[in-house]
Amino acid sequence: MKDLIKPADISKPSAGLCRIEPGDLATLPPPYEDFNATVLKPLPADKVKALETSLDDTLAIGIPKPATPEEEEELVRRFLSGLTKLFEKKNNWTFLQPLLLSMEHCARCQTCSEACPVFEMSGRKEIYRPIFRSEVLRRIYKKYLTPGGKMTAKWTGDIDLNWTAIARLAELAYRCSLCRRCASVCPIGVDNGLITHELRKLFSQEMGIAPKELHEKGTVLHLRAGSSTGMNPLAAKDSVEFIQEEMEEITGYKVDIPWDVEGADILLIHNAGEMLAWPENVGAFAILFQAAGLSWTLSSETTGYDAVNYGLWYDDVQLARVALRHADIARRLKVKKIVIGECGHAHKALIETSDRLLTGDLNIPRESALVTLEAIVRSGKLKFDPQKNDFPVTLHDPCNYVRLMGIVEPQRRILRQIAPGFREMTPHGVDNYCCGGGSGFAIMSGYNFTDWRNLVSSRKKFLQILQAFESEPPQTPKYVCAPCSNCKGAIRDILGYYDAEKRSRLYYGGLVELLVNALDGMKKPIILFGDEPSWK
Amino acid sequence: MPQIELAGKMYEVDEDGFLQELDKWNEEFAEAYAHAEEIEGKLTEEHWKVINYLRNYYQQFGIAPMIRKICKDLKIDMKKLYELFPTGPAKGACKLAGLSKPTGCV
Repeated sequence: MKDLIKPADISKPSAGLCRIEPGDLATLPPPYEDFNATVLKPLPADKVKALETSLDDTLAIGIPKPATPEEEEELVRRFLSGLTKLFEKKNNWTFLQPLLLSMEHCARCQTCSEACPVFEMSGRKEIYRPIFRSEVLRRIYKKYLTPGGKMTAKWTGDIDLNWTAIARLAELAYRCSLCRRCASVCPIGVDNGLITHELRKLFSQEMGIAPKELHEKGTVLHLRAGSSTGMNPLAAKDSVEFIQEEMEEITGYKVDIPWDVEGADILLIHNAGEMLAWPENVGAFAILFQAAGLSWTLSSETTGYDAVNYGLWYDDVQLARVALRHADIARRLKVKKIVIGECGHAHKALIETSDRLLTGDLNIPRESALVTLEAIVRSGKLKFDPQKNDFPVTLHDPCNYVRLMGIVEPQRRILRQIAPGFREMTPHGVDNYCCGGGSGFAIMSGYNFTDWRNLVSSRKKFLQILQAFESEPPQTPKYVCAPCSNCKGAIRDILGYYDAEKRSRLYYGGLVELLVNALDGMKKPIILFGDEPSWK
Repeated sequence: MPQIELAGKMYEVDEDGFLQELDKWNEEFAEAYAHAEEIEGKLTEEHWKVINYLRNYYQQFGIAPMIRKICKDLKIDMKKLYELFPTGPAKGACKLAGLSKPTGCV
């Protein structure tokens, strides 16, 4: 089907603006050809009846259909009120300037479209084009918020603002992973990722519309229980105690994980998901920090043991609440600095985006764990045996701290020293592609959204991983180093979905595990390929 | 909110079939739900060991324990756990035990 969808179609009622047919998605190479005809399973009829499903074949939010025309009108009114606030300094002092610049300037050169993995992998579906969503918002903004906008709309591109358009726009704000690869290639600096982010903000802050994994089971749970995993301080301590025992059993190294040490040099904050899903990451940090003789601590205070800040993706108010808690815990513990574990968005949220919130005694130095790890390696205090990591390794670049913060080289300098089989992906560094799980996608799993992620948004990453290892025999175990919890979750899901452990012997993990795997004096390896130890 | 009928009673569950009203859980719920999670026949003593362990941990800590901890504390390996609960410990076992769906970056 020729895809002729135009921005104005967003307000015209229909069953859907986009359908992925077998053969539309970018082709996968052998031995994965059997997935080439796979498309999304249709949403069940009761969902289609009750929820706003007229964008495409999937649902990220699942907005209930309004019951009456009056309810619809009220929602349109609230959207316009939220939109007005986005363009007012007193209500959007943080992001108004870049938003205005992106609204005013777009040459429609399509450079961004070629850079977007979702657009490319989907088989170039119009609605996933980075400027489609921006153009819809730009037209609404111009028509309804600029003087004489209704008069000039005829020439500048008209659009009707109705509930259909708004409901589709809300879902469409969750078909972009905010990787901002588009922004990095735009010749005039338009940021379509930022526009998506502002849209998500409008929906959450003004209309209470957000995916439940990010809000209700995300930031709200984080602030209430202490972690978006639901872990209270007791549970965090219990998990870490278990990790401590496990580390000794796995590696033969006895580690003592410190809690709440006042005046320590470093407060290390992990993404708490690591404690449950990737305990060896938490354990490896402890081994390395202890072996290097660092003065460090974890915090058992509510929120202090979970570095995540989902507000970064959809809500400035929630972002601020969590960031202030993190900084205040560090202030009261009197630590010299905060070190963020291997979690991309936590880097971006606390080190950079919160910069203007954290003033005075809350402005505690904040550092990336990658920098801390490199300092350990360079100090020469520890000996590493690269031969223990003698297997093919490639490196994924988490968007949040690589493209968006410029932390590119520390992780590479480490790998060049300790992983002889390291090879880059194509492209890599700031040009690398998103894992497909960015901006919360990795944890959003309602309806059939996980399938959409595995089929569409993570597809480019899967192709890149296969390409990085194409010269290796299928039976050789291979390691995708992904130093970010969200990316690890997305990569785990791709490998599972495409049966890639079995077909290509692909495994994944963080960076610190490779360091501990090569650390002199370990009796056993921390990295296993299935049941097979990575060295003997 | 979707509902599910098990052993003649209605239960509220989320989109993925996790029980929403945790206090409504009972043994008949688990027994009747087992088939949907690809468990054949009646639940065995080994199934109940896992289910009771999960419920106990959840009551104490508010979350499901990490999978490695389940294996270690109950002295069973991962393979056995998947044999008992073919849809996986995080999905099948937690569902039958009446726990909420895991949240956060896990």
